[in-house]
Amino acid sequence: MSTVSEPLVGSSRSLSAAKRHKSVRKNSRRVYSAYQDHQHGSSDDEDKDEDRVDSNDPEEMFQNIQYQKEIIANIRTRPWPMRRKLKVLKQAREIVLRYEGQLTRTRGYQTAGADLLKKLSRGLYNIVVMFVPWEVRIKKIESHFGSGVASYFIFLRWLFGINIVLTIMTGAFIVLPELLAGAPFGTTRSKTIPKEHLASAQDLDTIWSLGGYLQYSVLFYGYYGRVRKIGSAGYRLPLAYFLVGMAVFAYSFIILLRKMAKNSRLSLASASDENFTFCWRVFCAWDYLIGNPEAAESKGAAIVNNIREAIVEEQEKKKDTSLAVLISLRILANILVLLFLAGSIYIIYFVVDRSQKLEQEKPELTLWEKNEVSVVVSLITMIAPSAFELVAQLEMYHPRTSLRFQLARVLVLYLGNLYSLIIALLDKVNSMSSAVQVSAGNWTDSSSFLATISQPGVDSASTLVSEISSSGHHNSTRTTIATMLDVTNSSRSSSASVSNQTALFEKNTRSQQDQCWETYVGQEMLKLSIIDMIFTVASILLIDFIRGLVVRYLSDCCCWDLESKFPEYGEFKIAENVLHLIYNQGMIWMGAFFSPCLPAFNVFKLIGLMYLRSWAVLTCNVPHQQVFRASRSNNFYLAMLLFMLFLCMLPTIFAIVRYRPSQHCGPFSGQDKIYDIISETVATDFPLWFSKVMSYVTSPVVVLPALLLLFMLIYYLQAIARSLKFTNNQLRMQLQTARTEDKKKVFQMAAARLHAPESAADNKPDQQESDITSQEASVHTPSPRRNGSVTNFQSPVHRGNSIRTITQSASGADLNRGSTAGSVRSPPVTILPKHRVEHTPSRPTPFLGGPSGTCRSKSFHHMAYIPPSHYSDIHSDPLYRKTIRPLHPVEAAGIITAQSYGGRRGHTTRYVIVNEHEPRKKLLRSATRIPRHYLMEEPAEILELYPRNIRRYMPRTTHHQPHPHRSHSSQQHLSEEDEEEEQGKGRRRVPLGKAHRPHSLSDLHQPAHFYIGDCVESHVTPAKDSHAAQGRYGGHEEDEEEDGAGESGWKDSELRSRSQASVRAADPLLVRTRHHMHSPGRQCQTPARTRNMESYVRSKTRVKLETPLTESDSASVASSSDQQNSSTDQYIQVIHNKERYLKSDTTRQGKLGKKKSKTNFELNSTESNDLVCSNV
Amino acid sequence: MGATASQLGKDLLSEYQELTFLTKQEILLAHKRFTELLTREERDLNLNTRVPMARILTLPELKSNPFRKRICYVFSTSEQKDGSLTFEDFLDLLSAFSDSATLEIKSHYAFRIFDFDDDGTLDRGDLEKLVNCLTGETDDTQLTPDEMRQLINNILEESDIDKDGTVNLSEFQHVISRSPDFVSSFKIVL
Repeated sequence: MSTVSEPLVGSSRSLSAAKRHKSVRKNSRRVYSAYQDHQHGSSDDEDKDEDRVDSNDPEEMFQNIQYQKEIIANIRTRPWPMRRKLKVLKQAREIVLRYEGQLTRTRGYQTAGADLLKKLSRGLYNIVVMFVPWEVRIKKIESHFGSGVASYFIFLRWLFGINIVLTIMTGAFIVLPELLAGAPFGTTRSKTIPKEHLASAQDLDTIWSLGGYLQYSVLFYGYYGRVRKIGSAGYRLPLAYFLVGMAVFAYSFIILLRKMAKNSRLSLASASDENFTFCWRVFCAWDYLIGNPEAAESKGAAIVNNIREAIVEEQEKKKDTSLAVLISLRILANILVLLFLAGSIYIIYFVVDRSQKLEQEKPELTLWEKNEVSVVVSLITMIAPSAFELVAQLEMYHPRTSLRFQLARVLVLYLGNLYSLIIALLDKVNSMSSAVQVSAGNWTDSSSFLATISQPGVDSASTLVSEISSSGHHNSTRTTIATMLDVTNSSRSSSASVSNQTALFEKNTRSQQDQCWETYVGQEMLKLSIIDMIFTVASILLIDFIRGLVVRYLSDCCCWDLESKFPEYGEFKIAENVLHLIYNQGMIWMGAFFSPCLPAFNVFKLIGLMYLRSWAVLTCNVPHQQVFRASRSNNFYLAMLLFMLFLCMLPTIFAIVRYRPSQHCGPFSGQDKIYDIISETVATDFPLWFSKVMSYVTSPVVVLPALLLLFMLIYYLQAIARSLKFTNNQLRMQLQTARTEDKKKVFQMAAARLHAPESAADNKPDQQESDITSQEASVHTPSPRRNGSVTNFQSPVHRGNSIRTITQSASGADLNRGSTAGSVRSPPVTILPKHRVEHTPSRPTPFLGGPSGTCRSKSFHHMAYIPPSHYSDIHSDPLYRKTIRPLHPVEAAGIITAQSYGGRRGHTTRYVIVNEHEPRKKLLRSATRIPRHYLMEEPAEILELYPRNIRRYMPRTTHHQPHPHRSHSSQQHLSEEDEEEEQGKGRRRVPLGKAHRPHSLSDLHQPAHFYIGDCVESHVTPAKDSHAAQGRYGGHEEDEEEDGAGESGWKDSELRSRSQASVRAADPLLVRTRHHMHSPGRQCQTPARTRNMESYVRSKTRVKLETPLTESDSASVASSSDQQNSSTDQYIQVIHNKERYLKSDTTRQGKLGKKKSKTNFELNSTESNDLVCSNV
Repeated sequence: MGATASQLGKDLLSEYQELTFLTKQEILLAHKRFTELLTREERDLNLNTRVPMARILTLPELKSNPFRKRICYVFSTSEQKDGSLTFEDFLDLLSAFSDSATLEIKSHYAFRIFDFDDDGTLDRGDLEKLVNCLTGETDDTQLTPDEMRQLINNILEESDIDKDGTVNLSEFQHVISRSPDFVSSFKIVL
């Protein structure tokens, strides 16, 4: 608004301001016009000119230099081809050097240092990456199977890391000191293998069941000595054992929680941007770094997976089946799962039970009997997940939900397994330690299993000689050993069996040693872990590898397609595998206290698993159909792991707290409770004051307040967390509003982008400044430049033209004759008389100036409405173009603008126009003044015009249709209505202009406005006509020149562009549509045609319009130079063209238009030549 | 190396450094790689020689890229639009795909690469071609028409802010700028 009005004032200040503003615009334009320039030849030369244009006043110069510097600094960020960048850089440097003399080079050490730093960090990063284990392998898997599968391996690697740390802890603080400084093997009772076992200690059978040498090694709890201080340094092994045992848990907890916190922070950060999933999956999917065809292939596969997953998710949102069936199915599924769980728990308990019985009944157990428990547990863990998966298919959950359910169920199963196992074991332990009470005489064999055992115990008196005889110890020594059930058994039958005391003692000690329950638990755990590993390997080999082999190599000689039907390739089931890892880790945690080497074993296991799994995945697995986002599930896995850790810690802690340590083995032998080691150490090894302090601290006086304090702290932290959550929500809401604002901004940008190129055929594909002022600026500034200047002048002419076509109806006979005659010379002949006809009645002239004057002056108002109008409706491109049109006469009339800031033109043109505009203004004023009184005189004429207008184009359309006029009256109506619609869209600004005040868009569609609009149009155009006529009579040449030059230039260029072979066939149509869009002559066309064009313009003009226009621009500049000579002639010629053109449109309605118009134009050009001749 | 340096010229080299995001070494390496693509007689003409697209595509860095042809077309300044590259075009390519190129320039070129019909917007046809490029043309990987329709609808729903049925550059950049890993993946390193 302001930029327009200021130039109106014509002050030099505003002029320079406008210029400056323009240079800024130019600047931004530069960046974005590149896309177009790049494609349609570069406009370097123009740019060059531009840069040198304004450099007179110092301020300007300074700005220019700043600008050039900016160019130099940012040139690499411009998406231009190199040659252009080189050119621009050269000239920018030249300018800077010329004007500033010495340019200080600020870049230098700073940038070099930054570069170096960057390189260093990159190198460091590369080195770090190199040391991350299995990075390449995981990347490979990731590229092949997607992030989901990779997440399994990343998880595995992370667990591997944890286990490494655990191994180091146990190894460094327990195993190594024991090995180095502890009593050597065979020196103490707990470290020697009993004589009768010595023979079989090296048997594979014994080793396999972790007995013999293995049992009496650092692997297990029982081996560690009870000596308080070992070695010369006095290492407190028992204390270390206890502390490390606790530290294992503590470390696991801490690392888990930290990881979870980190993950949740990450997921929180990414949660807010969830809405672009699809775009990212498509636009950012490809990793351009991939150079290896195989990797590319697998990346492609990953992308497909990713996209499919997104689509499936989207589809799942919409899918719905009958609820009743679904619910019943789900209930059924859950019942099945529960049954399965209960069954597995029962089986495990039963198996443990049975193994205990067998141990008592049989002296020699078979291999199966020894490993029964672990095998059964492993089998269940292997089979159950698949069963759950089958069951899950019943439920028809969303894949992700079903995955969650699956995971939860499998986790429950695994936990159930572990718990039933550990409970059974602890039961055994319990019975061992309860043997003390048993031997005391008061046995409460409340436990059913003791009762069941008692029966075989009775008849075992005869059969199980060795066992029973050994049990005689009960009478002689009331040792507090935790004895096996056979002890209790034997205690019953001891009355029957009498035996030698010495032999009894010997056997007694053995049984005492045997009954080290901690070792027993450790053994079980290790055994379970080993069996589990074996089963995993077996399942990978059998289920995946062999199956893969069979499917691949037997598919040819099989009657059905193995690869796609039954066996298929094994899928990699992330959920089960991850859970398996968790389960495995749970076993480790559970057994770590009793078997210090378990973490070390697990490390090896994980390494093996890593290689085997990755190999299996890459060779014989296919990607899971639905890959899920790793980042999401990661925390889920971790949560499960945490849960597992907690639950696995419980039994250990329980055992530590509840049971007495074995009396003859392990570091804590002889103590009442394992944790007594702490208090003992405090009491003995620390100074007195410390133990005193400790006793105070542990007294209720301190503990209770401390507890209270803790509770308060927890409450406080929770309150803080709650408030933080609240703030977080608020911030998120703010973010969302900011985002919507953002969207609006982009929306505006898009709007500006849509309008800018059309309004003035500016080449900007994008306008970054989206605020209203810049919008306005974009409306203003682009218009005067380039094609803007052209359109300025073209519009009035069009109106003139169109009006003439309307008036043709009056002289329709002439025209018809002329067109049908088809002679080259006849059109000018028809026009001239027609003009005379029009002018003589003195009717059109009165309207001319008056309404046109109002229209022009009113056009200012439109400017104010432009921004709102295109915010509300972006698609009203025609509207926009319309609104911009009326502006131009104003500018043309009084404002320098056009060429003066249209720097694209050379100096010469600029001056010419600056000179011109003054008389022009006068001229216009005179033009407006004259008609006014006519208008006053004959207002009735206006009214009369309305029907005429309608009538006029009615005949017009019919004229050129093969059918007679009257028969088409109904069609006419239709077409009128259609027209009205179009008008409603296209003409909005016309009523606005007429009414002198803002109109809401709502009343634009009223038919009245349509007529008025027509009227105004017609008013404007006769004005031009009159000018034309005057011009022809040599009256106001300059004005005419202006119009004529612009128009002719434009026309010329159009012709040229058309004559160029390279121009697409669509272009003529396009250009034509532009004419029709704003020429009232459009009314004369059949609605169908207009429709067609309109739609075409809608869809394509935005970009394509720019093509011909840029080309025409230079042409117009060129032609403007010789405007002095030929303008009037050309003007007529143009009118003529136009007419022919319209006619050709109407006559050859439809599809053929494109080609024919081309030929038509050639025809026209020849005609025009003739015309010139005739006129001169 | 010395030969290539002299061939390039010191001024030109520094100008190239100024104009691209490449370091001197990278430019020299690019030059070396580029001259390897030239035939013997073309080598004498050097800088302004155009290497046809087919030969450019033999570079392992581009060979397996699904958008390789588009990349060539976009960076080619050839009048015939045949995707042939001069050395400067090649440098432009490497600069846009370099480590230090800004998000803006990367997204600009990405947009143009994805704009298959060069009309300045990503319409449904462009998106379909883009997805097909990503998934490959084989039957088992290609999306079904249904999936494709839904995918494109979703993409437009997310990114097409002005609801004109196409994604324009500003909308595209808006989306891309929020992607965490676009900058790191939109890279080609010789």
